[in-house]
Amino acid sequence: MSAQLLLFQLLNGLGIGMIYFLLSVGLTMIFGLMGFVNFAHGAFYLVAAYAAYSVSLLTGSMLWALLLGPLAAGAVALASERLLLRRTYALPHEAQILVTFALSLILQETVILVFDPLSKNVPVPDFLSGIVFLGDFVYPAYRLAVVGVAAAVALAMWLALERTRFGAILRAGSESAEMVSLLGVDVGRVFMAAFALGGALAGLAGALAAPLRGVEPFMGLEALGVAFVVVVVGGIGSFAGALLGGLLIGVVQSVMSSLWPEGARLMIYAAMAFVLLARPAGLLGRA
Amino acid sequence: MEPRFPDPTSLGLLLAVAALPFVLPTVTLASEAVVFATGTLSCSLLLGGVGLLSFGQGLFLGAGAYASGLLLRDAGLGTAAAVLLSTLGAAALAGLVGFISVRRRGVYFVMLTLAFAQMGYFAVLAAGRVTGGENGLTGVPRPSLPGGLALDTPGAVYAVLAVLCLSAFFLAQRVLASPFGSVLAAIRENEARAEALGYGTRAFKVAAFALAGGIAGLAGAMHTLFLGFVPPNTIQLEMSERLIVMAIIGGAGSPAGAFVGALFFVVAAEFLAELWPRWLILIGLLLIAIVLFMPRGIWGAAQELLARRRAAAVPGLAADA
Amino acid sequence: MPEPPPLLAAEGLGVRFGDFRALGGVSLRVRQGGIHSVIGPNGAGKTTLFNALTGARPPTEGAVTLAGREVTRMPAHRRARLGMSRSFQVTNLFAELAVRENLRLAVQAARGRSAWAFWHAPSRLPGVAEAVEGLLSLTGLAARADARAGSLPHGGQRALEIGMALASDPKLVLLDEPLAGMGVDDVARTKALIRGLAPARTVLLIEHNMGVVLDISDRITVLARGRVIAEGPPAAIRADPGVREAYLGSTGAAA
Repeated sequence: MSAQLLLFQLLNGLGIGMIYFLLSVGLTMIFGLMGFVNFAHGAFYLVAAYAAYSVSLLTGSMLWALLLGPLAAGAVALASERLLLRRTYALPHEAQILVTFALSLILQETVILVFDPLSKNVPVPDFLSGIVFLGDFVYPAYRLAVVGVAAAVALAMWLALERTRFGAILRAGSESAEMVSLLGVDVGRVFMAAFALGGALAGLAGALAAPLRGVEPFMGLEALGVAFVVVVVGGIGSFAGALLGGLLIGVVQSVMSSLWPEGARLMIYAAMAFVLLARPAGLLGRA
Repeated sequence: MEPRFPDPTSLGLLLAVAALPFVLPTVTLASEAVVFATGTLSCSLLLGGVGLLSFGQGLFLGAGAYASGLLLRDAGLGTAAAVLLSTLGAAALAGLVGFISVRRRGVYFVMLTLAFAQMGYFAVLAAGRVTGGENGLTGVPRPSLPGGLALDTPGAVYAVLAVLCLSAFFLAQRVLASPFGSVLAAIRENEARAEALGYGTRAFKVAAFALAGGIAGLAGAMHTLFLGFVPPNTIQLEMSERLIVMAIIGGAGSPAGAFVGALFFVVAAEFLAELWPRWLILIGLLLIAIVLFMPRGIWGAAQELLARRRAAAVPGLAADA
Repeated sequence: MPEPPPLLAAEGLGVRFGDFRALGGVSLRVRQGGIHSVIGPNGAGKTTLFNALTGARPPTEGAVTLAGREVTRMPAHRRARLGMSRSFQVTNLFAELAVRENLRLAVQAARGRSAWAFWHAPSRLPGVAEAVEGLLSLTGLAARADARAGSLPHGGQRALEIGMALASDPKLVLLDEPLAGMGVDDVARTKALIRGLAPARTVLLIEHNMGVVLDISDRITVLARGRVIAEGPPAAIRADPGVREAYLGSTGAAA
């Protein structure tokens, strides 16, 4: 592999990795906060991708699509939490998993009902459709923009976690939800907000990914698998772990896609198994 | 109550399997039912027997399907040898996956099983030259059984599938009603306590995972015999999910629940899919309703109903029930 | 007179949870065939000590030897095979299973590899049924043998807990507050049960009921804030001013 190609794939991996981070961070946050594993998380990604597809089809503006896609996913996440998921907080984990899995099945089938089972292309926004010269290195503008947007969101999230009251509650909650309720915080509202935020972030990942990979009804399920790999590798419940895990998995997938295209997606699972054997709690996870 | 073998449901299963081809509209549908019942059994054995929720049983079903397809088509093995070897191979694969996965407990374990199931699908795609990739493995023959029994009619195929399905169910019942099975129940109820008693719970869980993987692999081999080819959806995540759905709907508490759940799903698919292609939305709603309001599934609810009736009929029993 | 080697010995055991030192340099020698009690005010580190001794949560410093063998890092289930058994302070049973099945699982656990048999019913393991019946009558649970363990009254669950600890026919039994929450009748019966375990077995007991401890113990170790503040026979402990102070000073509740 030439240095040029390697650099290209590393940058690609960075972009994919940032999308994986956005996809996984809500999952890991909700788990950290309430020990809740949301199998419908991939469906939020799916909903946003299709919302982005529809908006770009209707308005011709991918910018609106990138804005409304995450909003749609956040709204679906919020509604799911209010109407269904809050009823399962007191149940065993297995029941929560099965209910959220059923929800993802319903959302996926609804997407097929509204659209169809075929995959569709989503255009790259006009003003980002060109290429960027980095010295004598050429790179698609949209992919660079993905890295930029995701990095900005990651930075904003980090600041919010460190500086705001809600962030403090989230951090405290991931240590002990009981402590948060002792502090006099309405835990129900925190959970609701965490779901909406996590869903919207997964949605942003879906909307950003749509022009890169197109949309199809099973992308949510695939995304769920990837998100699990990311949190297992990074250490579940850890913001930094989701970032590190996402980037690592993105780069592995991207670099492997030059070396062994058919096996690229296989290798991210192999990477997971490897990390797990070496560090069962994940790279940044608590044992 | 602790499980026994044989129990009345053993006989019930035998009768049900014998009656299916005559009760259902087609023999093909009956074949599909026993294939999926066997696959579902692997899920409920883990969930109901050990308390392990696995989203990865499709991996082992798929492995069994591909292994048997390759053994029959490319290695030229007979039906019996191919089924046996692919069952053992799936069990070995499950032992390996289980060894890695049981290092983590609870939700981590569930996430790992799902991730490994995805890995299996991508492995099949990556090895497209052997597996046929997206097109699947086509043109798998059905060699006659030893003794010259030809598998050239749906009825003959069903007979073989029925015997394999019953073997798996009786094996599962036997295992659950054994010292080994009682340890699995102890792990399900309170793993830390089982460990404190001196049971090496990890080894028991890996063994149970291998056993369930073997049963899923058998279901995969049955699937290959049934279809005569191996579509990639046998190893896709949707397969794992379908097996879970069937197990939960039927009730994971006992092997009989797996049979009921698979039968329900296969028959519902046959009739509902024609009325409304998006019938899985209904299955999703049903799944939610069962988890929230009927956690022991159809079979569990039926058993409760039966027990209540009996208790009402014999007043002395009501106090103990 | 040379002292016989202790069945269980702890040397400088320490346990840290982050910055908190739950146990600091505790040494303990449990002689064979006696009843050795560990007492101390709440938060003294008694259960932490138990967890360190049994391997449930290995110590961060120090060493544990069982019958002359170093077992500090040995997992709990392997120590169980060496003849160490424990009951839990928080009732820890197979709540959905029958009382009899709880005991049977405990007896079966001591039979090593026979628990792997998958081709016959559990009842066909030789000697198990007899052992279970013996434990049922020892613990006074024979009449409730087929009830769900979770449905037993508290005292019954504690008795079952002791029964399960005895199922492996252990040389050494660690009992963590076996009398907690028991009614008067249950206390009297359980006290007799524990006293009857020695000298055939060695008992290490954590218990708050000071009357019972002083009555049945051969030796008592007093813990306070993670350290040993006194050790000796009951009469000496009763008279020790430091012990009185630890109890009265820290909790205000005399035994």
